[in-house]
Amino acid sequence: MTDEPSSEPGEVSRRRALMLGAVGASAVVSIRPALAQTAASVSTCEIPVPDPARAGSYIAADGSLVPAGTPGAFAPPAAPFKGEDVKRAMHGGQLPGTDYESNQAYMQYIRRLQRGTSGFTCFASLQMPRG
Amino acid sequence: MAGPQYLAEPARRIKSVRLGGITALFHRPSARTHLVGSPVPEILDALQETAMDANALLTFLQDRYEVADADPASLAARLAELEAAGLVRVA
Repeated sequence: MTDEPSSEPGEVSRRRALMLGAVGASAVVSIRPALAQTAASVSTCEIPVPDPARAGSYIAADGSLVPAGTPGAFAPPAAPFKGEDVKRAMHGGQLPGTDYESNQAYMQYIRRLQRGTSGFTCFASLQMPRG
Repeated sequence: MAGPQYLAEPARRIKSVRLGGITALFHRPSARTHLVGSPVPEILDALQETAMDANALLTFLQDRYEVADADPASLAARLAELEAAGLVRVA
């Protein structure tokens, strides 16, 4: 936190100078990330659950991958999810072909995606503000 | 008449790197980088804990800093930029 300004009478103010800038000026330059996809392609990008390198693994309720057949875990969906479907699920909808619990498990898996795992770029692009 | 109350994105969501007179703000949730100059860091700092409307924010900044050009229209322009960038939102 910055120091509180001195307000004793007779003392020179030690507050730092600050300029708000002209109305027409700009104080913010925003850079789109290199991995951004255009708005038109967000809906067509896909997120495989799980990524192809771990195909066959089941998805536990917390989104982690477990051996196939693990009790309480969910079999992977038949096909990758479209970006548009995941975006809808992020805002209270449900992934197609899922019930409440499998939807939660798949979404947990998706939220935990890391750079380098298939689907990460698609998921990251869903979280960007539009425009 | 009070205008909209503004609140800054929590600092924990932003990685900040100072580059001389400019600061780079990497906003993790959007993966966007914003290059910003004064008075942006000061405004974001002011709006971290408490939502304020433009008038309250101007008073706050004038208390804390020597603001040579304390024009409400200038501050409104800065807030509009920050809202467009996703760094502040209407509370």
